[in-house]
Amino acid sequence: MIGLSHYLIVSAIIFSIGLVGVLRRRNLLMLFFATEVMLNAVNIAFAAISHYYNDLTGQMFAFFIIAIAASEVAVGLGILIVLFKKHGSLDLDDLASMRG
Amino acid sequence: MDNILSILVFFPAVAGLLGFVVDKESARAYGITVAAIEFLLSLWLWFSFDMGNAGMQFVELIPLIPDMGISYYLGVDGISLFILIMTTLMTLIGMASMGETKNIKNMIVTLLFLEMTMVGVFVALDAIIFYLFWELSLVPMLYIIGAWGGPLRIYASIKFFLYTFTGSLIMLVGMLFVAYIYHNLTGVWSFAITDWYALVLPVDYQLWLFAAFFVGFAIKVPMFPFHTWIPYAHGQAPTIGSVILAAVLLKMGTYGFVRFSLPMFPDASVMAITPIAVLAIIMVIYTAMIAYAQKDMKQVIAYSSVSHMGIIMLGLFAMNAEGLSGSVFQMLSHGIVSGALFMLVGMIYERRHTKLLSEFGGLAAVMPKFAVIFGVMLMASVGLPLTIGFVGEFLVLLGFYHVSPVITVLAGTSIILGAIYMLRVMKLVFFGPLDNEENKKLKDLNARETWSLIPLVAIVIWLGVYPKPVLQPIDNSVKSLLVFMEGKARTDEAKDMIKTAKTSTSIQEAK
Amino acid sequence: MENLVYIALFAPFVSSLFAALFGMTERKIWIGVVASMLLATSLVASITLAYTVYTTGNAIHVTMMDWINAGDLNIPFGFVVDQVSVTMMTVVTLVSTVVHIYAIGYMDHDKSFNRFFSYLSAFVFSMMILVMSDNFAGLFIGWEGVGVCSWLLIGFWYHKPDVSKEENPSVSPSWAANEAFIMNRIADLGMLVGIFVIYWNTGSLQYDEVFAQLPYLSESVLTIAAITLFIGAMGKSAQFPLHTWLTDAMEGPTPVSALIHAATMVTAGVFLVIRANPLFAAVPDVSFFIASLGTFVAFYAASMALVERDLKRIIAYSTLSQLGYMFAAAGLGAYWIALFHLAAHAFFKALLFLGAGNVMHAMHDELDIFKMGDLRKKMKGTWIYMTLASVALAGLPPLAGFWSKDAIIETAFNEHTYFLWIMLVITAGMTAFYSFRQIFLTFHGEDRHTALGFHPHEMYTFVLVAMSPLAVLATITGWFMKEYEAFITKLLPQYEMSEHTHHLASYLGLIVIFFALSGIAIAYLKYARTGDKAWKRDEKIESSFLYKLLKNQYFVPKFYEEFITKPYMMASEVFWTKVDLKIVDATVDNIAKFFYTSGDKTRSMQTGNLSNYLNWMAVGGVMLLVIAAISAMIG
Repeated sequence: MIGLSHYLIVSAIIFSIGLVGVLRRRNLLMLFFATEVMLNAVNIAFAAISHYYNDLTGQMFAFFIIAIAASEVAVGLGILIVLFKKHGSLDLDDLASMRG
Repeated sequence: MDNILSILVFFPAVAGLLGFVVDKESARAYGITVAAIEFLLSLWLWFSFDMGNAGMQFVELIPLIPDMGISYYLGVDGISLFILIMTTLMTLIGMASMGETKNIKNMIVTLLFLEMTMVGVFVALDAIIFYLFWELSLVPMLYIIGAWGGPLRIYASIKFFLYTFTGSLIMLVGMLFVAYIYHNLTGVWSFAITDWYALVLPVDYQLWLFAAFFVGFAIKVPMFPFHTWIPYAHGQAPTIGSVILAAVLLKMGTYGFVRFSLPMFPDASVMAITPIAVLAIIMVIYTAMIAYAQKDMKQVIAYSSVSHMGIIMLGLFAMNAEGLSGSVFQMLSHGIVSGALFMLVGMIYERRHTKLLSEFGGLAAVMPKFAVIFGVMLMASVGLPLTIGFVGEFLVLLGFYHVSPVITVLAGTSIILGAIYMLRVMKLVFFGPLDNEENKKLKDLNARETWSLIPLVAIVIWLGVYPKPVLQPIDNSVKSLLVFMEGKARTDEAKDMIKTAKTSTSIQEAK
Repeated sequence: MENLVYIALFAPFVSSLFAALFGMTERKIWIGVVASMLLATSLVASITLAYTVYTTGNAIHVTMMDWINAGDLNIPFGFVVDQVSVTMMTVVTLVSTVVHIYAIGYMDHDKSFNRFFSYLSAFVFSMMILVMSDNFAGLFIGWEGVGVCSWLLIGFWYHKPDVSKEENPSVSPSWAANEAFIMNRIADLGMLVGIFVIYWNTGSLQYDEVFAQLPYLSESVLTIAAITLFIGAMGKSAQFPLHTWLTDAMEGPTPVSALIHAATMVTAGVFLVIRANPLFAAVPDVSFFIASLGTFVAFYAASMALVERDLKRIIAYSTLSQLGYMFAAAGLGAYWIALFHLAAHAFFKALLFLGAGNVMHAMHDELDIFKMGDLRKKMKGTWIYMTLASVALAGLPPLAGFWSKDAIIETAFNEHTYFLWIMLVITAGMTAFYSFRQIFLTFHGEDRHTALGFHPHEMYTFVLVAMSPLAVLATITGWFMKEYEAFITKLLPQYEMSEHTHHLASYLGLIVIFFALSGIAIAYLKYARTGDKAWKRDEKIESSFLYKLLKNQYFVPKFYEEFITKPYMMASEVFWTKVDLKIVDATVDNIAKFFYTSGDKTRSMQTGNLSNYLNWMAVGGVMLLVIAAISAMIG
């Protein structure tokens, strides 16, 4: 029987994969993908817990996140395109212009 | 004129705002006029002051935030009255004696704002209002040092600001805690100092609070070892800045002790006598010796200020009317004398653009008027009888003798060490052969300089010969303060130590 | 009568203010005349008051106004004219008047003539406050006032440069002035403490109230009060170890030396002991110490005078020595004898100094008596005056010094303090020797000055006439000792010689005269003769250890220089550069620097690289999680 904990473990694994992606990747586009992965990990957790408690609020929240993630990608990709046009690269090491 | 105090506080500020539209050429005349009116108003306050009443007078009370017990609450007693008059006087004289200054309009406006904050500190009876003015006074002074100062002005002004600001923050914590205790005990909030007087605090609370207030006041005084900002501030500040700093801003610290520490924490104050007395004698002896080693005239006066503030601190903790009245009187005397000395140094600086003692010698021959006035102020500074400097110093030492003869003798070395460093300055600057070519052409004081100093000379002698008109109201308030402290003290040691005068008037009940 | 008191007191003040008005203008002789007339007014008022006190026997007491009122302390400006103060007033105004007139002649070429009179009169005013005040605080006003005037007057020729101590032991007038002021201040601290002790134990500073309370005070309080007040007296009266300033004070103009550093101000310490005699009488141990110290100083100063070459310094030493005599008398309880010697000394010592001033004037400020000799032919009047004063100083009858000094020596015998007696007798012999050494070297013997290019001339006649009252008084004062005793003992305690002493009195007097005469005889044989037997400098003596010891004032100034002045300067320097800047201020700066550098160091975290930021964020998140977990486990 697949229970709540299995879902949560899957969610945690995917979240960790996303986190490692955020920490390790140097390309902005890849960072975006990694954050998307993390968001979806959270969505899995929301959906599973919502089912567990029989409370739809969690699933509603997951939808919210999907919607916001979509708009975020729209805006974010737009910015990325501008950045790429300006610098010719999306590598973070090349974009460090705010050195303290 | 029911709200004379409000007028006194805000008139300079309003006039300062208007000052922005005044023509640049007439800025000085405008400033002097405003300061003169302010001074006359403060004199009017003195004449309508009821000498027999030792409590607060001209009280104004307007609730601002009733829920938090914060109100616009002003009043003066014998102690603050004369410090206030000295403030307005020194602002006026300082402004009148000011030489050629760049951006004179900004300077005048800044000074008028500074005057507001200084007067505000001395008339505030609400802790929040007091704190407000206390902190605001830093800003104009920061500007004066930072904009018109010498080469190291940025360092000096930031040091001055941060140092005193740090201290006041700790004081603010203390204030909030007192208000919190007051709320716990009575169920209502109040920041009125007179309300706080009624609090009888446990001794350990008193000690902590005393320490919190002490840091704020001690840095301002400045007490050893918190004094190191003052040589920089004086060294870099323009003359007018040094005059106001020495004459008034330092007094805010000692005034704070009288207004807050003594009446609110009588037991803690008595326990603090020994440590404070030790710090005070270090101030007196150590800084007097440092003053002797200085090569710059202005630094001598700056360190001598610290030394004299040591005497004032000692008097505050004498716990008898002689010492405490003497201490308050010494605040006035130090304000006038050190102010005048800074003005004199400023005048010579304007002529030669140096303050180094080694550059001078034999000036008495070319600048006799200057030498005479410097000599009078020197004698007042070393506490010669029949000058203003003697009365306070004598009373403080007399008062503290009752507490500790040994410490009094050590502090009394002030009259010797003071003579040593001041006479050294006199000898190096005015005596000896006139052998520096540049000094031979020096002009004596001009009319403006002379007439801005003459009033100070007159006061120095008048209050030295007949201090009664000033000393008596101070003494009345001090006596009732001591009666109040004795009544409030919880420990037997404190009750034994606080010595009320036989002639004290009846207890002035706190509001 | 009140008005007379105020006239006596304020006439010098008016004179001072008047002269000060013209202080910065060119010299005007008539200012000196006006000042002298005002001083004479004060003198007349003082004499009238003296006569009144003499006839009525009552003291006149006036209170002008309040001065300091704080707590339970009440100090008025109150003045009392009684037998003691009127004696002082008369002496002070008389000597001052003569000195003022003298100074018109002496200072006539000085461009700061007006300023000089202003200072001089201010001094007299301060001195009058000192002697007339009816309380200790008023005394202290005068006490400090005379100190300041003395500072102003010693440093009167402020423009002279500092020179090395070998060239001039007093360095410069302004140096000597500062030394005098600071040394007096040291003693004044003692006096202040005495005032505090008196106030906190009696609740008052008025003489009469304080003295009325004395029987109720404990022994220790009385002792402390007496000691501290006497410390004050030691400074003003230049008693060992605070004596070095007096000889250096000779840098001032000679009229100043005559008035302040011989006749009046330096006797203020003696006056204090006399004024507070009930206090000092109550503590015999302290009094005995005073007498012993006085005797020691009498001998000590006289010994230094034996080898001194500077005309004014010799007289300064003799002043010190005579002050020692006065303290010896006061310490032994013979207060009125001390006061009598004070008055007599004021007359003959002022005369001696003014005479020295004439010599100086004639010799163009040359003071080395080795360069003079045989001046009596050119300066007959001065010679007579100075010889007269020296005879009085040496203590030969019938001049004033004999009566007063003999009475002191007799007192020492009467008190069975034979050691003090022997010392005082020997000192009397030394006094005679050095006074006449000075007279003979200056006015007799070989003419040594002409060869050096000096052409001395006698002082103005009016100056010599002005000095005559002092000469008369130096002669006759002693004759009225009995009358004075009757007058003064209405206030001061009577001092009775025992039967035994009385019996031996004439022998004791003869011993003193014998010592004095032998001193003069030795001086004559050594210094006054001419021709083959004329005095010559003796290298052998001058290089002996004893001579050097005396010449260098027992190395006391050297000691002060090396062990007080220099260490003080060094300590000040160390406190400033090492302690204040390197420790106290550096601590504050280091706290500020700590915040600054910690910010500066962590700044490198701000790489601008988004990836780094994300890593830091993750680290922070993990740390928060760990903290939450730990606190969950603990809590």
